[in-house]
Amino acid sequence: MTTSTTSQRSGLSSTALALIPIAIAINVALGQLVQSVLKLPIYLDSIGTVLVGVLLGPLAGAITGLLANVIWGLTLAPSALPFAAVAAVIGLMAGYAGQYGAIYSWWKMALAGVITGVVAAAISAPIATYVFGGVTGAGTDVLVAMFQNLGASVLGASFMQGAVSDPLDKTITYLIVWAIISALPKRLLARFGAADQ
Amino acid sequence: MQRTGLFIERAGFLQRLNPLTKVTGVLLLIGATFLLPAPLTGAALLAGVLLPLAFVSLIGRRFLDILLKTLLPALISLVLVQGLFFPTSDPTTVAVGPLLFRRAGLQFALNTGSRLLVVAGAPLLLFQTTHPGTLVQGLIQSGMPRSIGYILLVALQLIPAISERAVGVAEAQRARGLETEGNVLQRIRGVLPLISPLIVGALVEAEARAIAIEARAFNAPGPKTWLRDIPDPRAEYAARIMMLAALGALIVWRIAWFFSG
Repeated sequence: MTTSTTSQRSGLSSTALALIPIAIAINVALGQLVQSVLKLPIYLDSIGTVLVGVLLGPLAGAITGLLANVIWGLTLAPSALPFAAVAAVIGLMAGYAGQYGAIYSWWKMALAGVITGVVAAAISAPIATYVFGGVTGAGTDVLVAMFQNLGASVLGASFMQGAVSDPLDKTITYLIVWAIISALPKRLLARFGAADQ
Repeated sequence: MQRTGLFIERAGFLQRLNPLTKVTGVLLLIGATFLLPAPLTGAALLAGVLLPLAFVSLIGRRFLDILLKTLLPALISLVLVQGLFFPTSDPTTVAVGPLLFRRAGLQFALNTGSRLLVVAGAPLLLFQTTHPGTLVQGLIQSGMPRSIGYILLVALQLIPAISERAVGVAEAQRARGLETEGNVLQRIRGVLPLISPLIVGALVEAEARAIAIEARAFNAPGPKTWLRDIPDPRAEYAARIMMLAALGALIVWRIAWFFSG
């Protein structure tokens, strides 16, 4: 990667500065599109975050996730703000997956998706429990009710709900990012280089 | 034109304040709801602080409207799920029609719900009374990296454009015979043709934008000039110090209370 694009001062290259806002907008636009047009039971609202993480590294990925949730909070639902920490960790992990070279094979990406999903579930469970009381008003609340009925605590049920939904969602997200990046022209990818920050 | 953001242009009380004062206020309110006993604190802060502030800022109805619209599903779910399935050893129940609610569960739902109204309501009031540009400028002037501010403002501007493009891609692919209905497997197969044109287009656009950023020397070091000045009266500075002191005092009090049993 050329050094001329890297700013020593802010730590973010101009490529990152250009791509991150677009990735955030993609998160929001696709999150809505998947729910309104395809009506799928998954969120797919972190494709932009994973894309930036894999292409530009952990720092850029974490910033994308964090700011994407701040933007969600600013524009649509202030209740998305508490989960900004989870989104940041998703971007961070996508960055490490990229540095590890997961992008070169589909099964490594799927594995990275599963791991990211479990970690995301573990971090969001305490937030969901202490801020939202374990439920968020989405369809997945049924799972929380079921696990509590089976004897789990509120925190335990929140984690189990996340452990069911998140790895599936993140695996599909990583595989989509893999499919898109593998199909990109080399010249375009060269601009984004590898995760070398 | 599609609206982005929650900001409403009005000449009320909160709109005149410095954004930093409002951010400090949000921190104090959220801190207080977690540090002081629920559900009284949440209810008192909502009725005694947030609602009056919303009304003197001339956005009372819009504030209530959005607060309830975004939280109602969560609140209903909270009462149903925790009221019926809360793990407790307390056998006391409350019958409502055919449903048998657990008393401890309803108590938990009441505590969490009152807290949630403040945790979501305080930032909502901040965003409804502060233009995003003013908010970002205030945060940058108090030490937030300029690049973070740039990302936030550009993303806010891009969301309507990218949303529009996403709908356009969906329609174009449907015209080519893409299945967006049918069973789950068929719809999952529809994801990739929708997403990849959007992302490839975004990467091409990002390349052009990166060149523009470099051409304008965005990353050049040195002080920058601001087009507008955000007023920051001495009284507001004092108010911020007092709010931070109050938050600190609450935390100390809570820790002391925790150790005294």
